[in-house]
Amino acid sequence: MSEIIISAKDIEVQFRVRENYLTAIRKVSLDLYTGETFAIVGESGSGKSVFTKTFTGMLESNGKITNGSIMYHGQDLTKLKTEKEWASIRGVKIATVFQDPMTSLNPIRTIGSQITEVIEKHQKLSKSEAKAQAISIMGRVGIPNAAERFDNYPFQYSGGMRQRIVIAIALSCHPEILICDEPTTALDVTIQAQIIKLIKDLQKELGFTTIYITHDLGVVANVADRVGVMYGGQIIEYGTVNEIFYDPQHPYTWALLSALPQLGVKGEDLYYITGTPPSLFNKIDGDAFAPRNPKALKIDFAKEPPFFKVSDTHYAKTWLLDPRAPKVEKPAAIQNLHEKIARMTSKGGAFHVRTE
Amino acid sequence: MSEQNNREVLLSLKNVEISFDNGGKQKFKAVQDANFDIYKGETFALVGESGSGKTTIGRAIMRINELSAGEITFEGKRISGKLSKQEDTQVIRNIQMIFQDPAASLNERATIEYIISEGLYNFHLYQNEEDRIAKVDRALEEVGLLPEHKSRYPHEFSGGQRQRVGIARALIMEPKLVVADEPISALDVSIRAQVLNLMNKLKNEKSLTYLFIAHDLSVVRFIADRIAVIHLGRIVEIAETEELFAYPLHPYTVSLLSAVPMPDPIIEKQREPIVYADATEEKTGPDYAMREIRPEHYVYCTPEQAKRYAELAGQ
Amino acid sequence: MMERIEDNLFEFAEFDERESEHIAAPRYSYWKSVWRTFIRSKVTVFLSIFVIALVAFALIQPMHSGYSPTVAPNINNSEMKYLPPSSEHLFGTDNIGNEVWDVVWAGARNSILVSFVSTAIIMVIGILVGAVWGFSKKMDKWMIEVYNVVSNVPYLLLAMILSYVLGAGLGSLIFVMVCIDWIYVAYFIRTQVMIIRDREYNLASKCLGTKTFTMIIKNILPYLVSVIVTYISREIPSLISYEVFLSYMGLGLGTNYASLGRTISQYKSFMTGYPHLFWIPVLVLAAIAISLYVVGQKLADATDPRTHR
Repeated sequence: MSEIIISAKDIEVQFRVRENYLTAIRKVSLDLYTGETFAIVGESGSGKSVFTKTFTGMLESNGKITNGSIMYHGQDLTKLKTEKEWASIRGVKIATVFQDPMTSLNPIRTIGSQITEVIEKHQKLSKSEAKAQAISIMGRVGIPNAAERFDNYPFQYSGGMRQRIVIAIALSCHPEILICDEPTTALDVTIQAQIIKLIKDLQKELGFTTIYITHDLGVVANVADRVGVMYGGQIIEYGTVNEIFYDPQHPYTWALLSALPQLGVKGEDLYYITGTPPSLFNKIDGDAFAPRNPKALKIDFAKEPPFFKVSDTHYAKTWLLDPRAPKVEKPAAIQNLHEKIARMTSKGGAFHVRTE
Repeated sequence: MSEQNNREVLLSLKNVEISFDNGGKQKFKAVQDANFDIYKGETFALVGESGSGKTTIGRAIMRINELSAGEITFEGKRISGKLSKQEDTQVIRNIQMIFQDPAASLNERATIEYIISEGLYNFHLYQNEEDRIAKVDRALEEVGLLPEHKSRYPHEFSGGQRQRVGIARALIMEPKLVVADEPISALDVSIRAQVLNLMNKLKNEKSLTYLFIAHDLSVVRFIADRIAVIHLGRIVEIAETEELFAYPLHPYTVSLLSAVPMPDPIIEKQREPIVYADATEEKTGPDYAMREIRPEHYVYCTPEQAKRYAELAGQ
Repeated sequence: MMERIEDNLFEFAEFDERESEHIAAPRYSYWKSVWRTFIRSKVTVFLSIFVIALVAFALIQPMHSGYSPTVAPNINNSEMKYLPPSSEHLFGTDNIGNEVWDVVWAGARNSILVSFVSTAIIMVIGILVGAVWGFSKKMDKWMIEVYNVVSNVPYLLLAMILSYVLGAGLGSLIFVMVCIDWIYVAYFIRTQVMIIRDREYNLASKCLGTKTFTMIIKNILPYLVSVIVTYISREIPSLISYEVFLSYMGLGLGTNYASLGRTISQYKSFMTGYPHLFWIPVLVLAAIAISLYVVGQKLADATDPRTHR
């Protein structure tokens, strides 16, 4: 039975931009269970990266956690201030893999030294022991001829290889939680498939919890056990991956699914969302998605909806779930989602299910 | 050749090779032996990953890159290599481009009005100021923007809106062929649909032909009539869209399709990606050529492989 | 937790698609934004007023002072010599009975004139040549060789030689400075142009058939405003000091023109006896050069849109 490994409650994050304040995270709560993969889906500006940065104390200097707590092993992470306090957590217990491997690695140091540096900092090993462990990790993440390539520089590796190294560095101290912030967005789709598989295999082997941030619903379907959908600095719906895909409740989740090109019918228009995300400089009354929601109720502009329970594992923050709201069906495009996608992948259709 | 006989060829690439100077050292061949035709009125997709050469081909058609061998023709006339000023003008009038990055493809210091009018100014395609402004207003409305936007600057707009400005800028020239170089890759997922719908609508209204360069196969499946798959500078497969997805034959195409994650948890959790063994070097040799395996379905292969593919596809 | 929410709030709201395209923010204007950013700092505003006053005064005062370097009306009046600064003689008097006030402003005027005019000409030539140089790959091949040769010759040496050959005077000094400095500006602009030449919006302009000259004016130069202003903010004080140095060495403006450099050179022998004679022109020179530089830097920052709110 898995237990809660980290618990964030009512987190609020503000950034000071010149003389104004931007509320990037507006009261977000999240519990993570050991060994699971939780995907956070959202578009740019939704706050998904900012939220996970609070777990490692990596908010930019003009950002502050203005409310809430993050309980991890009995400690409130929001109370940690100095680098020394974070030293035993960041990179050790909670590690992050970022999107761009080129900027995550130091271009003027060898790959090997960047891995051993992390090992030596957190484990009491000799130089040769650290090197041996580093080479072993490099092999684990799929670098061929790891021993020879130990002294190479980042520019001598391809993008996919570099990301593998970044993963190796992140896992070198056996963290409990791995945050993957769009780790494959900058990579080709064939490399992406390999990296996703690598992370999954390593998770099975090492037993860490993964937080996966992405905007790609295909990747979410592949990796996630549970999903949280973020919009305008809040999680507006969360549930198991099947619940989110096959029984979504929030109009924004509907919109995200409806816009999938796989559901497009040739010759007809694809579904899209008009307008732009809200400015987080201003206080938002009501549901942040309301201005772009053709099915918005008047109350969506007046009062912020609470979370309504759909099942023990599935909650959505929309007034449509209030008993007084009119019955609104999810759009026709995303009904029978599974059948529609299965038809595209059946025999004779590409995207083979594992056969040959 | 089958039903394509009555279709007019608009653009044709013959044995195109594009190589770049590495500063005296051996030239780097970005594109080798590219051959394909684009028919009038279709959306032809060129699909590949980074470094495949797809953008290079697009830019060569726009005459930004030079060919080191081969030829490109438009409506039967050569448009690659040295052209007279008049011929060059004709190319610009007939072929326009939509760029990938909405942040970088618009002049930040110019108003929307100037950006859209730029082509009109260059060839004086308007009768007077009123006419020009009317054209700009109409172009803006066609892409779903408001005429009041024309006095604003690019950075005041969202990515999707900027991309639509880029489309307006290209289409105000009334081209016959539009080369769209990854026009939606840099946009948020929910905005992509809007731009795709717009491109389809404009294509029907103005009888356009598109060369759609992309790496996202799900999008390509929705928008394209025919698809060419390119890998490391070589075109490895050309077929109609549904034909390609039903019968992917070249091993690279197979691995590409199998790598795309489907937005369905039940299906995704069962899948295994198929890895292309020759990912770093394109398998080639004297026996290799584009061979027609099924009607209008070409694969880059040897005669023995061709036989095998034909059997696999039940031909 | 259920408060009293009226049931009619659970009706559909109106939805206007075109509304969502509307941009609420006020219209942006680059130069208005530059101005607003520039005057944000009180120090900047103060210094700007100071500089403008200083320059205006330096340009106007000598026209009414009646001072000329070739005339010394009080040369035989020993009571007018070596007077310290007082309310009558604001900067005191020098060894030949001239008002140091008049001498200093006359010299400052010429320093400012030479540097402003030279800078203007240098920038115009340098930007035009540099822009074409940055665009033309063919021109780059041979121009870069020329630049490499010329830039290795010591600047000051060249200035001194040219100055000696062409003789003293306002016009020839301006000519010397322009001759030596334009190529550095050209090189700088060429590098900047090469950085932005291949950006997508420039490719887009090429695809639309835009001519190179139009691209330079509309696509490239607007982006370079900030770096050009930065360059000017350093060039003007730099040329002032070169003029002062050359005149100090006896080259430069020559004996017919008032010059801070020559003045400082003449007064340096009185440094211990009558220090006000030496230090006042030096301080005036410093005040002009430094405030010009600081205001120029602030303007350069203001023209960089990344600093705009």
